[in-house]
Amino acid sequence: MTADTQNSDSAAMRFEILKGALKDGVAARVGRLAFAGRQPMETPNFIATTSRGAIPHITPDNVNKHLQTAGAYMALEDFIERPQQYAKRTPPIYEAPTTTKHTTRLHRFTAMPQSVTTVLAARRIPAVPSPMGNTNASISVFTSTGFQVLTTKEYLSAVEALTPDIAIPLADLTHSTITPNSKRALRMAERTDEWMVEWFSSLSESTSPPRTSTFAPVLPISYSIQWEYISRLAEDYLPTGQLSGLAIYDPDLLPDLAEHCPDLLPLPRLSLSNPPTPHHILRQIALGVDVFALPFINALSDAGLALSFSFPPPASSLSPPPPSSSSSSETGTEGERTTNKLLPLAIDLSHPSHATSLAPLSPGCTCYACTAHHRAFVHHLLAAREMLGWMLLQVHNHAVVSSFFAGVRAALLNDGEPTFDDAARRFALAYEPDFPEGAAERPRARGYQYKSVGGGEPKRNKPAWGKLEGEEGTKSDESEQVGEKSVGA
Amino acid sequence: MASNKTFTSPALSFELVARCSVTRARASILTLPHGSVNLPIFMPVATQASLKGLTPEQLEATGCRLCLNNTYHLGLKPGQEVLDAVGGAHKLQGWNRNILTDSGGFQMVSLLKLANITEEGVRFLSPHDGSPMLLTPEHSMSLQNSIGSDIMMQLDDVIVTTSPDKARMREAMERSVRWLDRCIAAHKNPHTQNLFCIIQGGLDLDMRRECCREMLARDTPGIAIGGLSGGEAKDDFCRVVAACTELLPDLKPRYVMGIGYPEDLIVSVALGADMFDCVWPTRTARFGNAITKHGVLNMKREMYAADFGPIEDGCGCPCCRPIEEEGAMGITRAFVHHNAAKETVAAHLLTLHNVWYQLDLMRGAREAIIEDRFPGFVRGFFGNLYPDRNYPSWAVDALKGVGIDLLES
Repeated sequence: MTADTQNSDSAAMRFEILKGALKDGVAARVGRLAFAGRQPMETPNFIATTSRGAIPHITPDNVNKHLQTAGAYMALEDFIERPQQYAKRTPPIYEAPTTTKHTTRLHRFTAMPQSVTTVLAARRIPAVPSPMGNTNASISVFTSTGFQVLTTKEYLSAVEALTPDIAIPLADLTHSTITPNSKRALRMAERTDEWMVEWFSSLSESTSPPRTSTFAPVLPISYSIQWEYISRLAEDYLPTGQLSGLAIYDPDLLPDLAEHCPDLLPLPRLSLSNPPTPHHILRQIALGVDVFALPFINALSDAGLALSFSFPPPASSLSPPPPSSSSSSETGTEGERTTNKLLPLAIDLSHPSHATSLAPLSPGCTCYACTAHHRAFVHHLLAAREMLGWMLLQVHNHAVVSSFFAGVRAALLNDGEPTFDDAARRFALAYEPDFPEGAAERPRARGYQYKSVGGGEPKRNKPAWGKLEGEEGTKSDESEQVGEKSVGA
Repeated sequence: MASNKTFTSPALSFELVARCSVTRARASILTLPHGSVNLPIFMPVATQASLKGLTPEQLEATGCRLCLNNTYHLGLKPGQEVLDAVGGAHKLQGWNRNILTDSGGFQMVSLLKLANITEEGVRFLSPHDGSPMLLTPEHSMSLQNSIGSDIMMQLDDVIVTTSPDKARMREAMERSVRWLDRCIAAHKNPHTQNLFCIIQGGLDLDMRRECCREMLARDTPGIAIGGLSGGEAKDDFCRVVAACTELLPDLKPRYVMGIGYPEDLIVSVALGADMFDCVWPTRTARFGNAITKHGVLNMKREMYAADFGPIEDGCGCPCCRPIEEEGAMGITRAFVHHNAAKETVAAHLLTLHNVWYQLDLMRGAREAIIEDRFPGFVRGFFGNLYPDRNYPSWAVDALKGVGIDLLES
């Protein structure tokens, strides 16, 4: 019996580990994460990533009907912009009245179905790096009207007002691809530590048992730099029941955590590390991640890609795929015969080979897009840049990821052969390492999603309008200019 | 006697259910190859085989049983070959209800530079490569046969109604009649698809009447009044509709093309028209505008930022209906404001609301006609829209012509 077969309970949350790691230390496990009033989540699993409170392209009625998503990641920076003329206004979300069907302000404002577990963090994933940096009492966030300061106090009162099911306290993160130097890393740990003390002392002041569960951030820096912070979590806040889970920005820290703080093992672990492919997801599951926020699903739908992987991989995975489902055959050259034998992780539906295909987006898929529609329609919608195309791809892609995780759980629960490790190894051999690029035009870029860093990025979409007599490219739709438009600060 | 109230042709039957005892408004049931639809009706426009982000399932849930596709757009994308291979537009878009397609001629004129109309057809430059192309009545029929629409429109010679050139107007009207003959001859599926004629003639009532007579002689299963909604004065528009409906047979559906503002719909129904289409409700939704019985509300305005009421009180659409009811989403104005012009979801929600509004307006009109209280319905409608009773004069005049005095208290 290892430590992580215990359960973790708090007032509003229950996390049961149904099957823990078989060997000591961190490893894949199966569990159930349940919040009062929400649909319980079998783990490992994923949650959808929202933009401005909406799962991109999916209206709330269709979230209910066509998505199997049990949770939604929301970023406070999506709700607190200050329009120039109304700079003093209170963000409206703080005033949303609750109803019997939407019992929290967050659910009410976003009309998110009540069964969906909400996760609130300060920033979107991936977050746009801020040029201003954080201070001792605040971080810099990027709203639709520009960068602004979010203090630890404001964030605390936002969490109290919105009562998400899971809140991720502020962490001093750089959101940069560059690894912070050791001095910066040390400050990240110190600040996050201080903020955590402030967080829990403020939460304990409120009398009623909190409806929000705290998932403490584990920073993407080495364990040796943040060990003091992490031991404080284990020693001060775990025994009081205030700490309900961990938000992991770098899953490679999990083995260290298990070695040095075994007390933290029963806590559910939410990965916010933005794994780019299912290969990375499998690796993180093996390291012991329970729940993932997966922004790549939204990005791939926008790119016109229909996910086509499953777990465990199909038995005949070493034979070449049928031509219509292979995206590599059109990009691969003669010299790349070996990669052509790999299955694609996704199908580029903008490819002309799908123009008349009445096949489902991926064979055997039972999602709404695959049962009510076919490739030819989605191909047409992408070519015509009709919004329904991205909607159908979102439904399909969420369904594929959902059954991927169901397959993972089944493999983990299976005591005989093949084991999860075997299946994961076969998956790595069967599928291409990366998603295809996706040749379709994307939806219009919205300023709050991207920020030009350094400038000079090429435009992804063709200009919508040109000069009357042809001189194309001299004049273009400004809104296509990535990010530039709404950066006000 | 049922036979006195029903008209049947190979791919359509039209049953007159009730008639307003004051105005020319009628309620009827139009049965098409993909099911029956209640008239009067507003038909939302799914230009490129998709209603702007709504799934066919969501569209059907609004009560829509007949929507438009545009022949010109489907001819370009996905193209006739794909339509043939897939088996038509119903199959392409997963829509098992009715589809009406226009002829493609209107887009040639409205979207393309250098469209040139000759007796043979419409000559234009391909938007793909700039090469010269020709749309003939035969080609339009062939495209619409490939689409498989339940109602097809003839190719007509469209010029702006405000054109002062009488000779050109007459030429266009007469050519439209000749093109109808060519369309009828080229139509390959008269037993499964209905071909409607289009009455032209600009704002000249005599020319319109002459066109009516010529077109009626060709005995198409339904009749459209075309060339309107192109910038003419509303008085002129009403006069033309009234002049045409006066001559049209009772037992055929009458379709006024390109009409979508709620006032226009209600007045046109009073003048005896049955079917309407317009991109305005769905387009204005994408601009952040909600249609309500009190007028159009721009959800992007700051005043809605913290407004937690439904888009429209009392509306029965999936966004607005009370949260306790089945399928209600509990959408607030604040949420629509929050995402208008930022996330596609806000556009989808307003599209859903606006389509529902338009269809529900026609449902209300139909019920009022059947219960013979249509004049009261019209007064109530205009009273909601203009609480200060400052009604537009064109509507007052047009309604007076069919027996409703809006100003009478």
